[in-house]
Amino acid sequence: MNRPIRILATASFALFAILVAAVTYHQVIVGPDYRDDPRNVRVATSQAGRERGTIITADGVVVAESVADPNDPLVFRRTYPEGELYSHTVGYTTLLFGSHGIEASHRDDLVSYRDATISGVLSALFGGDVRPRGLRLTIEHDLQTVAREALGDQRGAIVAIDPATGAILAMVSTPGFDPNTLTGSAAGATGAALEGDSAQPLLNRATAQSYAPGSVFKVITTAAALEAGVASSGTPFPNPVELELPGSTATIKNFDGRACGSGSEVPLSQAFTSSCNTIFAMIGMSVGADQLVGTAESFGFNTEVPFEIASIESRIPDAASFEFDVPGLAQSAIGQRDVRATPLEMALTAAAVANNGEIMVPYLVQEVFNSEGFIEESAEPSVWQRAMGPATAAALTGLMEGVVTSGTGRRASVPGIRIAGKTGTAEVPDSAPHAWFIGFGPVEPDPGDPQIAIAVLVESGGDAGEAATGGTIAAPIAQQVFAEFFGIGQEDQ
Amino acid sequence: MTRNAEAALLAAASVVASMGVALVNFAYGQGFDAQVALTFLVFAVSFGSIHMALRRWAPEGNPYLFPIAAFLTAIGFTEIYRLDPELASIQRWSLLLAAAVTVAVLVMLRDEGVIMLRRYRYLFLAGAVLLLLLPLLPESWPLHGAEVNGSRLWVRLDLPIGARSLSFQPGEVAKVLLVIFMASYLADRHLAMSTTGRRLGPIRLPEPRQLGPIIIAAGASFAVLVYQRDLGASLLLFVLFVSMVYAATGKASYLVTGLLFIAGGGFVAYQQFDHVQRRVFAWLHPFDDFADAGYQVVQGLFAMGSGSLTGSGLGLGRPDLIPAASTDFIFASVAEEMGFAGSIAVIAAFALMAAAGFGIAIRSRDVFRKFLAFGLTIVLAFQAGLILAGVLRLFPVTGITLPFMSYGGSSLLANMVLVALLVRASHGERT
Repeated sequence: MNRPIRILATASFALFAILVAAVTYHQVIVGPDYRDDPRNVRVATSQAGRERGTIITADGVVVAESVADPNDPLVFRRTYPEGELYSHTVGYTTLLFGSHGIEASHRDDLVSYRDATISGVLSALFGGDVRPRGLRLTIEHDLQTVAREALGDQRGAIVAIDPATGAILAMVSTPGFDPNTLTGSAAGATGAALEGDSAQPLLNRATAQSYAPGSVFKVITTAAALEAGVASSGTPFPNPVELELPGSTATIKNFDGRACGSGSEVPLSQAFTSSCNTIFAMIGMSVGADQLVGTAESFGFNTEVPFEIASIESRIPDAASFEFDVPGLAQSAIGQRDVRATPLEMALTAAAVANNGEIMVPYLVQEVFNSEGFIEESAEPSVWQRAMGPATAAALTGLMEGVVTSGTGRRASVPGIRIAGKTGTAEVPDSAPHAWFIGFGPVEPDPGDPQIAIAVLVESGGDAGEAATGGTIAAPIAQQVFAEFFGIGQEDQ
Repeated sequence: MTRNAEAALLAAASVVASMGVALVNFAYGQGFDAQVALTFLVFAVSFGSIHMALRRWAPEGNPYLFPIAAFLTAIGFTEIYRLDPELASIQRWSLLLAAAVTVAVLVMLRDEGVIMLRRYRYLFLAGAVLLLLLPLLPESWPLHGAEVNGSRLWVRLDLPIGARSLSFQPGEVAKVLLVIFMASYLADRHLAMSTTGRRLGPIRLPEPRQLGPIIIAAGASFAVLVYQRDLGASLLLFVLFVSMVYAATGKASYLVTGLLFIAGGGFVAYQQFDHVQRRVFAWLHPFDDFADAGYQVVQGLFAMGSGSLTGSGLGLGRPDLIPAASTDFIFASVAEEMGFAGSIAVIAAFALMAAAGFGIAIRSRDVFRKFLAFGLTIVLAFQAGLILAGVLRLFPVTGITLPFMSYGGSSLLANMVLVALLVRASHGERT
């Protein structure tokens, strides 16, 4: 009669053993994950006042650090010495508003492990490093400063990237905010004011907002035509004043309402340099929806960019939706209708042309270093996806260089450096147009020479309002960034 | 002499409780105060009087069960005090009441021991069913049922003083009465049940005549609990029933049939009850519905994960974030503030109680005592295991209390009496 009791007693002990295993699993093995889960409000509470790693720029300027309280050396306050300049890129860590930017995505590196967790205790026992690690960004402080100043009071964004590696050289979104005001005593009121501000200072326009790209999208339309063999640089196209769209009363006109230069036919190169909507609408219709959407997707549309800070997808409707909507296809080919792109995506588009058609994965953190300054991890550049073949990239480079030397993008030119680019003036309902410039330089760099690709967006015409164009508003901003990057002072121009 | 060890351990548990209260005070910048002294006093008086009763009427009874129970009560009490000092002061009264009832039970059993319970089995059955039915009393009566969290298993007595009311969960006491009934019935019939039976294919069923009354008893209790939507207690009761029949007959087929019934019953409950579906979903995918169904489970996991090795320290964690932190999820609260060390101590304490209980059952020469000790131990171990499994995401959360630790007088009282019966059953069986 004791046998069944013994069996059930054994079963009970097995149950307790399973409970011990489960509690070990939850508290020891995955415990740190639960502890650090952003939804666990204990994290914010417990990390508040703890030391976090220092963040510096590529050239060593401190952009985020933890400063010990003079009265209590174990209590730290997070400060952002550069204030507004890195508000969207470095982001912030706050008790009230969570964390954003690099502060959020690299939280695991930046936190201190000097605490009572099992791994922390064991690590400390065995002489491990429990102090937070620091980050060196890819951003050049001077370039970032120039980019910020070039945008001035206008709403917009600039993304500058090294096309060969994907390293982000500058990333600005305006208006910004001073992250220091989100950690102080008045943080609640400041944060509420920022959230309610109609200019949306908390929005990272570089990655988390998308805009009609307008004519800068013609780079992709041209790539599609070149890849499909529909056209080459010299291919002549008819030159109407106004293009009637099949199956609709809508027409497409050029920006100035005139034909694309003189003559009844113009070559693709001239159409590109002058950014003729009529001809690119024709090209869009002749390459077809499949090719146009396919090329846009290979440039990174309709996919989330693998990036360290929160980004949204750039969108183009799928090819099937254009089957009975040829006007839609024509308008999409000139970057209007439902095409939307983030400044980050357009910077990658320029970088793809610069990098023989390959898009590198963009990244912001060059190195992770420990508390003693030794480098523990370094970024390894990797290819994200191929946008187009090298021949197409080479042909596009020629076309884009023409834009800067003799076309709409002349104001982006920098003496002594071959710059390629494309302007865009995207029409938006109920607002002044968005001014765009994308480009890169130098064209055909010598091996080892630094190269930069850039996207500039000025929202709703910026200071110029309705009169704004990509060439007048965005190209000069790009010019300032190029000049800084290539070390050409303003006085040299 | 072992009773001296018991006295020392009970005194130690009282110190644990009062020092726990002091630590919580320290965390809030206060020091020793009346709460510390009062807690020590209540624990010392409660467990001291039980100890004196045991010295007098069960001197050879197991000396470890009450110290472990006192330790668990102390840990639970500390956490309750940390979460809500007002609940803690109610819990102190509950402890005094539970101790008084426990002593009263020991007094009643002073001459014949637990053997006398065997005679009144149908009284206990009737009592159990009556207690289970109490929550169904209409709301308008002074003594009435009340629904909490979708299950109707509370009884509330409205007191004439102000708007106060006294609530209790009669199901907690009913489970002890049902163990006594089943132990008594099976002690009479186990021989007949294990030798006769009919075959139905490969399954051997007992004579309905033998098993009938117990099936009716268990079925009635079961039906009432399902009607009240207290599925945790239904499961506990069913496991108890199957385990006791298996222990009495030694036939594995009962065990298999029982497990099949549990699986089938669980499936039907899942199909029929929304709140069961919610809890199953919260168990399988707690993070998918973080804000709603999964919230409690996830907060429990966050609490345990944040506790880590040695815990945040009493009063320094955030167990207040967990819904039902002082009742169903008291374990997660303890795990957060006392860490992995505290969790293991609690599980080990329950395992030790189960070991002592099963030991008493195995050593008992008298079958009634054997079945009684076995049934009581199963109830204790399985109840603890079931809610711990819920908190630890091994099983859906069933709204039952963690014995000795959860806030609640009915649970504390029932489990103290349960342990008293176990200790009394072990008296005189030691060789």
